Amino acid sequence: MMETILEIRQLKKTYPDGTEALKNINLSIKRGEFIVIIGPSGAGKSTFLRSINRLSEPTSGEIIFHGEDIVKANRAKLRKMRRNIGMIFQGFNLVKRLPTVRNVLHGKLGYMSTWKGALGLFNQEEVEEALSILERVGLEDQAFKRADELSGGQQQRVAIARAINQSPSIILADEPIASLDPNSSRVVMDYLQKACQEEGFTTIVNLHQVDFAKEYADRIVGIKNGEIYFDGPVKELSDDVIQSIYAKGKEAMPV
Amino acid sequence: MKQEALNISNQGEKGLSATKPSKYSEYKRRRKIMLKSQGFITAIILLLAIWSIWGTGFNLLSLFFGTYEILVFIFTDMFPPDLTVIGQLIGPALDTLYMSYVGMVISVVVSLVLGVLAADNLTPHWTIARVSRAVTAFLRSVPAVVWAIILVSGIGLGPLTGTIAIGLSGIGILGKAYAEVLESIDGAQLEGVRATGANWFQVIGQAVWPQFKAGFVSWSLYKLDMNIREAAILGLVGAGGLGYYLQGSINLFQYKEAATAILMIFALILMVEYMTAKIRERII
Repeated sequence: MMETILEIRQLKKTYPDGTEALKNINLSIKRGEFIVIIGPSGAGKSTFLRSINRLSEPTSGEIIFHGEDIVKANRAKLRKMRRNIGMIFQGFNLVKRLPTVRNVLHGKLGYMSTWKGALGLFNQEEVEEALSILERVGLEDQAFKRADELSGGQQQRVAIARAINQSPSIILADEPIASLDPNSSRVVMDYLQKACQEEGFTTIVNLHQVDFAKEYADRIVGIKNGEIYFDGPVKELSDDVIQSIYAKGKEAMPV
Repeated sequence: MKQEALNISNQGEKGLSATKPSKYSEYKRRRKIMLKSQGFITAIILLLAIWSIWGTGFNLLSLFFGTYEILVFIFTDMFPPDLTVIGQLIGPALDTLYMSYVGMVISVVVSLVLGVLAADNLTPHWTIARVSRAVTAFLRSVPAVVWAIILVSGIGLGPLTGTIAIGLSGIGILGKAYAEVLESIDGAQLEGVRATGANWFQVIGQAVWPQFKAGFVSWSLYKLDMNIREAAILGLVGAGGLGYYLQGSINLFQYKEAATAILMIFALILMVEYMTAKIRERII
């Protein structure tokens, strides 16, 4: 048995307007797993993923990461934990006006002094490492272009490079291919999978494409109405289960 | 007005789904409401205009007959400008320039801090944002000339007074402008950097600044443009520079010297505008 890297207990999130986005999530994740979370829009997938690095503050519960509770961490501790958690977003969230290579260098901010980081004083070693990571995601020719000059698929690969540069132990990807065409989606998912296998990252990906989920996941978690509805290996995910995950229940939240 | 429009559209949506056949009458009803409110606003604008014309005693005829007097004054008293005083004017012109530039630097530095603290998306706490906004609003509500009059009594006559007056009123304007530019930046880009474990200063430097830079440069240079005009006026209340010289020569009825000072102000404004335009092109 592999060691548990992330243990989530009784995680709840209620928004100020009373919406219960996460009702009671319990999940145990082992080192090196590639987990795909599926579920209808508004089921709480995104809130769940964003709760893990507290971009969205959970209301209650525990998230034990490397033996420490993220929910209870103070700001300084939280930043140290965040640098260990790479995050990839649906909208890429790169700094558009900066060159690609600088966006990758941002992965190192959590390891730098405040002022060096704020002024962007990266040393030769750091720049060379960033360039070599860009090469690994096939973007060595784009290193000095502004991030917003790249195509969507390329931008998402830059985001993957930024996450790799953090040398994290976990990567969270929130709908990484939702705004990409099918070809770019495949390329992005392949690079993500390759990076995770080579570096041994534990990976949690939110997807709404079930076919992609089945293809890339070791384990699938289905979330519906803020609760875990299914949790198991890909082969146990039958069509019936998929249908009932996506079936519109009475409590289904509007998007 | 906005609130009302919102309510109407909400009712409208409910009404639409409930009674399908009357879509056209719904369209007519909404259109009527819109026309009514537009008519209302137009009426208010017209009323205000009439009131103001009455209040100021605005009269086209007096402008028409006055033009003759103005031309006589310009051509007999001010023309030709006494160009021999140009030598004496160089010092005051430089003072005006210093006042504008140093005033801008003061307002930029203070406004950067106040602007970041006032912007809802960056402020460490909402109470700090409120306080910072109140400070800028206060500084903005007092015109530079009034600051100068107050400061003259404490600091005395001279360019230092003008510089501080310009700096203070500039904080009011730039602090608000910066805060608004900062509030309009893309939060997703900040989130991307924050998720790497970056702290507040690092997020400001690496994710906020690249988005803020263009607006920052263009607002700051605009303020420099405005400062040259303000600095010329400030001299009239004793805050040094060309305005001070202008007032002196008018008081002594030396209109030909005053004309030269006015031409000098004109040249200075054009020069600074040309330069700021060039700098803006370079940076943005």
